[in-house]
Amino acid sequence: MAKRTSGRQRKSLWSQSGPTPRLLFGAFAIAAVGLLGLTPKTLFGLSIAWPYAALWGAVGWGRVGLSLRPMLLLIVFGLIQDISFNAPFGCFVIVNLVVYGFSAWIASMFDVMNEPLVAVVAPVLQFISGFLVLWLLASALEDHAVRATPLLAALLTTGVIYAMSHRLFDLGRTPGQQVGQAT
Amino acid sequence: MARLSRSGQKPGKRSAKRLILFVFIFGAAALVVAQSAPQIRHFFDPVRTVAGDRLGGNDSVTLWARVTGQVARERRIKDLEAEVRELSRYKAAAISMAERLEAYENILNLMGEPPVRGVTARVTAESDGPFAQTLLANAGRAQGVEPGAIAVNEGGLVGRVIQLGELSSRILLITDFNSRVPVMGEVSGVRAILYGGRDGLGSLTDLPERSGFIEGERILTSAEGGAFPRGLVVGEARLLSGEWRVKYGMAKRSGGYVQMVPPPMIEAPEPVATLPQAEETDAPAQASAAQGVRQ
Repeated sequence: MAKRTSGRQRKSLWSQSGPTPRLLFGAFAIAAVGLLGLTPKTLFGLSIAWPYAALWGAVGWGRVGLSLRPMLLLIVFGLIQDISFNAPFGCFVIVNLVVYGFSAWIASMFDVMNEPLVAVVAPVLQFISGFLVLWLLASALEDHAVRATPLLAALLTTGVIYAMSHRLFDLGRTPGQQVGQAT
Repeated sequence: MARLSRSGQKPGKRSAKRLILFVFIFGAAALVVAQSAPQIRHFFDPVRTVAGDRLGGNDSVTLWARVTGQVARERRIKDLEAEVRELSRYKAAAISMAERLEAYENILNLMGEPPVRGVTARVTAESDGPFAQTLLANAGRAQGVEPGAIAVNEGGLVGRVIQLGELSSRILLITDFNSRVPVMGEVSGVRAILYGGRDGLGSLTDLPERSGFIEGERILTSAEGGAFPRGLVVGEARLLSGEWRVKYGMAKRSGGYVQMVPPPMIEAPEPVATLPQAEETDAPAQASAAQGVRQ
């Protein structure tokens, strides 16, 4: 006798979870990667360009629109980055929030979920804008044009890792919004 | 019914959140601008030092490390590294002493420099971002590190302590653009000021017009200005496209440890008024410091 299979596909735990657990999980991933990045990073004598993990959150969380909880998390991450990079307080907060706002603006203008071209180009533009803002801020505050090479290397690693792990930072819908409310 | 946006939010709610985002961004920008005033920047120093203590001062051993025998292996490695560091220090001390001896031979009655005391610390965090290139070491005021202490490793000079916490120190690397180190050639004796270049090599400024360094000669600290002791190895002189550059010595071997030695202390000269006047003394033939000043 043929096995009777259910018509529905079995849903994964991730797809069943709401935006708040997803937000917390993403924040945990960012914190873990950020903490690992504080240690000296060399592999076979070569120094590794560590990604700016908070930008993953800024890009990914902004795709569902603006919300207060991701903003607060990005502010906290920004302040921690300011301390670890010995930057004036507020620099990385600006970078994270600008990228978050940019991501939300692009999401409101284009269909970032279903249009393949937009889905690829939008994060690239957002990461570039983030690093550009960071370079401009650092150059303005340090009174000279700072080195762009470490930033470009970090931009590459940040982008490549985001391309592989972007689902981690997909909230599905805005935190606080009810199921079925989003279009 | 209110029209929903693509992200599923009502326009009114969305504009409120947009306003909050702008407020946060402008708040952060105001904070950044406010810190251009040194008083406000120093106001945040305790926050940085406490965070640095938390990040750099934590040296606990995990249970997993004990079970797998990693602790014993790490202890052995640390012992060997300590031995290498000790030997490297002797090597650096020998170079420094040879250079100093030459100076002593040339100048009579020179005051000797005090023996080097130092605190060795592990580098717990380093930042290679666009801002100041710094290291965070897990020793601070409690371990005897002094403000402005000089950090060296097996390869030579690493930097200078710019921020001191109770359990941690932040070291500004000599590779940073804002770092300035008075240096000299070991053989040529040519003096210059070293600062960090953008390509990983040190740049030199304030060079004499006529004389130059010798290719491959060791670059040492010259102790001018009194911020660094004399004779610490900084790197090697390289002539690249007609410009003298410095290949850093510390970049060769970064073992993850730095030794922080106190900065050289030069006593301030006594004010002229407190010195005995030549007329008051019984021996008028002896020249006093006050006479030197009058001349």
